[in-house]
Amino acid sequence: MAMSDKDDMPGLEVFFDAARRHGAEPSVALLARIDEDAQAVQALARRPAPHPTRRSTLSTRLYRLLGGWPAVTGLATAAMAGVWLGISLPEGILDGAGESAYLIDVAPELAFDLAGGEF
Amino acid sequence: MPLDTMSDEPDEILLVLFANGNASAARALTARLTPRVMGHAYRLLGNHAEAEDVTQEAMLRLWKIAPEWRQGEAKVTTWLYRVVANLCIDLRRRARGVALDSIPEPEDGRASVTDHMQAEARAEALQTALDQLPDRQRQAVVLRHIEGLANPEIAEIMDITTEAVESLTARGKRALTAALAGRQEELGYGDE
Repeated sequence: MAMSDKDDMPGLEVFFDAARRHGAEPSVALLARIDEDAQAVQALARRPAPHPTRRSTLSTRLYRLLGGWPAVTGLATAAMAGVWLGISLPEGILDGAGESAYLIDVAPELAFDLAGGEF
Repeated sequence: MPLDTMSDEPDEILLVLFANGNASAARALTARLTPRVMGHAYRLLGNHAEAEDVTQEAMLRLWKIAPEWRQGEAKVTTWLYRVVANLCIDLRRRARGVALDSIPEPEDGRASVTDHMQAEARAEALQTALDQLPDRQRQAVVLRHIEGLANPEIAEIMDITTEAVESLTARGKRALTAALAGRQEELGYGDE
């Protein structure tokens, strides 16, 4: 402790010194309670984490692999949109494109082969 | 590790051992820290039973935080002083108006007792005077002049600047001097 602290009010140091020598001591019962608390906290920490009650099935693992419900929801929406487009293609999509939109030949060499080389 | 070989281990290491399930570390920490926590709680509260409750709660919080303790951030004792102060302030706020009336006054006739009893009476008189101080002044004075901590550590515990600590201790000591002035002869003040 800095000497200046003692010097500024020397009379108080007598009381502080007495307080340091006559502090409150913890009882044996309190120490026992604290020790019990410590053991209880340690026992709680030792307890193993609960295991899942069901074994994960292939579908569950696939579900998790895909990324859970947000990814599966997105996939389902995309699939439904594809089916809907396949069943009823909206007229508006082809407006202005004319028939040429149907005549795009993605594999012209294949068509040549099927025609027996006479094109 | 047996208890007697842990006496030199720092608190922080013992806390890590405790978190790893070491029962000896728990006993070593209990034996080392409980008297300090209890002493501090009593000086802030002036009531033995309440100080015991606060001590048990503070130590329980230490056990619970042990797995998350981050080395090098704060001393265990600094953390404990802060927890004890917060618990004591909460307790005093809840019991304000009742606690002050229940503080026992030192008995008359102390001047004739032995030196040991005289020192005990002085400690008791100081405690009574401390109980009259505002919470923050009491905390600063106890940490500085009874626990013997340095101002920077007190500033960390109380989350204030060192200048604010100096101001609080100065005002606290002035108030204590005034409160104890009338009891100088009774408590052998002039003997020293």
